[in-house]
Amino acid sequence: MNTIQIIVVLSGIVTTILIAWYFWFAPKAQTRVAVAESGAQEVAITVKGGYTPDVIVVQKGRPVRLTFTRQESSACSEKVLFPDFNQNANLPEGEQVTVEFTPEKAGEYGFQCQMGMLRGKLIVE
Amino acid sequence: MIVHDPVCGMKIESQSAFAQREHMGQKYYFCSQSCVGQFDADPHRYVMTSATTGFNPQATLTRIELPVSGMPLKEHATHLEAALRAVDGIDEVKVNASASKLEVQYDAQKVDVARLVSTIKSIGFQVGGTKVKIGIENLRCASCVKFIEDELKATQGVLSATVNIATQEATVDYLPQNTTLSQLNAAIETWGYKSRATTSDAPVDKQEEAHAHEYRKLMNKFWFAAAIALPVMATAYYQVVPFLRDLSMDSLRLLWGVTALLTLPVMFWSGSDFFTGAWAAFKHRSANMNTLIALGTGAAWLYSTFAILFPSVFPEGTSEPFFDVVAVVIALVVLGQALELRAKGQSSSAIKKLLGLQAKTARVIRDGKEMDLPVEEVLVGDVIQVRPGEKVPVDGVIVEGSSAVDESMLTGESMPASKKMGDEVIGATINKTGAFKFRTTKVGKDTALAQIVRMVQDAQNSKAPIARLADIVSGYFVPIVMILAVWTFVIWFVIGPQPQLVYALVTSVTVLIIACPCALGLATPMSLMVGIGKGAENGILIRSGEALQTARAIQTVVLDKTGTITKGKPELTDIVLADQSIVKDDELLRLASSVEKVSEHPLAQAIVEGAQARKLELAEVKDFEAIPGHGVSAKVEGKNILIGNLKLMNRENIALGSLEEKSKFLADDGKTPMFIALDGKAAGIIAVADTVKEDSSEAIKALQALGIEVVMITGDNRRTAEAIARKVGVKRVLAEVLPEDKAKNVQLLQAEGKKVAMVGDGINDAPALAQADVGLAIGTGTDVAIEASDITLIRGSLKGVVTAIEVSRATMNNIYQNLVGAFFYNVLGIPVAMGVLFPFFGLLLSPLIAGAAMAFSSVTVVGNANRLRGFKPKFSV
Repeated sequence: MNTIQIIVVLSGIVTTILIAWYFWFAPKAQTRVAVAESGAQEVAITVKGGYTPDVIVVQKGRPVRLTFTRQESSACSEKVLFPDFNQNANLPEGEQVTVEFTPEKAGEYGFQCQMGMLRGKLIVE
Repeated sequence: MIVHDPVCGMKIESQSAFAQREHMGQKYYFCSQSCVGQFDADPHRYVMTSATTGFNPQATLTRIELPVSGMPLKEHATHLEAALRAVDGIDEVKVNASASKLEVQYDAQKVDVARLVSTIKSIGFQVGGTKVKIGIENLRCASCVKFIEDELKATQGVLSATVNIATQEATVDYLPQNTTLSQLNAAIETWGYKSRATTSDAPVDKQEEAHAHEYRKLMNKFWFAAAIALPVMATAYYQVVPFLRDLSMDSLRLLWGVTALLTLPVMFWSGSDFFTGAWAAFKHRSANMNTLIALGTGAAWLYSTFAILFPSVFPEGTSEPFFDVVAVVIALVVLGQALELRAKGQSSSAIKKLLGLQAKTARVIRDGKEMDLPVEEVLVGDVIQVRPGEKVPVDGVIVEGSSAVDESMLTGESMPASKKMGDEVIGATINKTGAFKFRTTKVGKDTALAQIVRMVQDAQNSKAPIARLADIVSGYFVPIVMILAVWTFVIWFVIGPQPQLVYALVTSVTVLIIACPCALGLATPMSLMVGIGKGAENGILIRSGEALQTARAIQTVVLDKTGTITKGKPELTDIVLADQSIVKDDELLRLASSVEKVSEHPLAQAIVEGAQARKLELAEVKDFEAIPGHGVSAKVEGKNILIGNLKLMNRENIALGSLEEKSKFLADDGKTPMFIALDGKAAGIIAVADTVKEDSSEAIKALQALGIEVVMITGDNRRTAEAIARKVGVKRVLAEVLPEDKAKNVQLLQAEGKKVAMVGDGINDAPALAQADVGLAIGTGTDVAIEASDITLIRGSLKGVVTAIEVSRATMNNIYQNLVGAFFYNVLGIPVAMGVLFPFFGLLLSPLIAGAAMAFSSVTVVGNANRLRGFKPKFSV
């Protein structure tokens, strides 16, 4: 192996570690939701290539009100599903759509588009 | 004074108007001869404009009735009244708690309806208006928005109005009893705008519109990319292109420079979604298909550009670009997305069909007048006229007239159902023969049809447990592919043949491009969507993907006897005469039913109905006496009659002869025999039984043919139960089961290690339905929201059970095909792209082919799901 080849192998190892760290192991930013005056936990989510914010922390036993606004036309994100709560909603481009339910049990629940390309997580504490 | 010309809507000064007219006590001003001419020709067409919307600013007091809901009106009445009285301009408030109405008299100059509504809402009530969206054509000026809004708000009965210039729509909340849609349209037209027919608010239509728009956009992007891809391809394979192969290396390099620039718009316009999507995902620390395509094409473009700019850096023979990969892959993937979108549109056809059933208008009778109203304006309690051949617009109860109604579109029942006063009619069914009037009980989103649509949509978007595996895989999939691409590069670079750099780059780009997480993600939802829609078309409402998946594995079906296998209602079956017959059978039935008419027992009811079916005239009854546990005695036309069981006959010492033997036969057959004695002598037996539905045994045979064990469960005694079981071919009978023990019996069957489905009526059997792996409720047409059930059979036939299992099996097979296909595609495709075949066969995959494969793999998944649309149940409707 010449020097360049050694460098390439080493960069391969480094890149692999970086990819694994970045996508799997690095801690993700979480958004804590405050309780609004109405008693519900309200949060606005933008849908554009992903859900922003995508990790949402809420308290159990209080209604959660998620308002989605889809800012892209790609058909992929036209629906949002909460399989664990049997909730789903169509998200017409540019319109605010509210999904509301009350999580009763603590845990981590995923939400996603229909085919699972965009994903988010609802952490119930 | 500035006024509107009612014809053209132009704003004019009243003094300088071309002409003026007075119509129905109202002055109108016109801008030109043509406008006034049109008005004179047909003034009624224009009087719906602002001035005549019924709102008269001169009148000091206006009265309005507001339906309120949301809280019990009685308890909060004083609070509400006080709050309203506190508002300046409100003169009088009357609360009518029983009708949930509020009558307010107010000064229109000081306060408006919107203020009233907001005050009522602040207490916590809701104001029951109808919401409607009206499209406005060519709405461009932002200032007109306010004018139209004010005009709408000034229209009598309007609670609130907003105009959205972006969607070109007015959203109006109004009281349908005070105004109609045409008045709202007229208010918009006052300002010279044309109102479009109320745009459908159905999400399916909207989605379809969005899809059509997105499809056009994708196709434009595709054609652009394809148009660039062709010449770029030519320069990449210059060796075989006539004119290009004669060019010198320098001119070629220049040509490649041009293609580098040409492919830029392909990447950043045609392929913009990949790059923005990849970046957005990256920011969220996630990666998806966009990431792969963006990385693959991006790397190809960067390498190629470097290669032509600094050829000397690269070893001999490696400085050739491959811009063709960039253009072709983007073109193909965009095309794939467009085709996928089109195929997806077909998948939701079931919902579209259901929505298409909805009637558009209703002939409502209000204040003695008939009027055609859009179905959205129909209120609960309205009386609606339906003529032969017309659709029933909403759900209700017939108050006048009778008819036969075709309910096949909802229940799948092909025979029209006869309907008379007091019977329920369902919206979207078709009235066949007679005219009738009905009072509406459910409108809007509460109708049976709307509930069915909602339920089907929810189920289509639910998850089958099998999708979880695909979910877990796709969570790790893309980063793994990226790591594989890195190592493909490293390995080819280190141990690959010359030119190493080119091989390393091409193979790693191919790996990135061929991997298709989309096919995996699409596999389950697309099939579920089609399968559940198919079920709905056949009168089977599947509540969730989980129910669908479990139904596939059902080994035992438990059928409740009464109401499921049988009609659930006793009927007259046999009349047996004594050996020395003293009466004819019609006479026996007539006398018996005369007595039974007085009784309230359900068996007595069956005898009376049997007599009515034979058109027998019933006689007067005297001295009727019920003998508990035995039967009844009475006097009819001077004869003493005894009707009852064997105990009664023995008590009265009546010789039965062969009748006793015959009664046993009847009882063995699952029937209930009743002895009849006239003046102390045995006259005969009348037998009644809960009869089996015509198609039950056929359905049970079909279930057994599917390899499913059929078990009957009933509270009846064993003899009756077994008689019915024999008739329909059920081998295993659980008889004498108390209603509360049904669930336990289901559990016992499950303990045998079987997946058990329970079929019942959904009310008495709710615990058993919930206990079973799959609970199927036999509905009665409208009652679709049966909580305990996983699957609702709208038709009252057992054939639905067969169809439900067939739908489930067909759908799950389709899902398996999709999942296996998508897994194998990736599991085989990625190693081939990495070059595992190269050492043995010298075979390498071109990134162009990888792009095509990736684009069409997801189209294939959607296409395969659409194959389910051709599913035909064994028992078609």
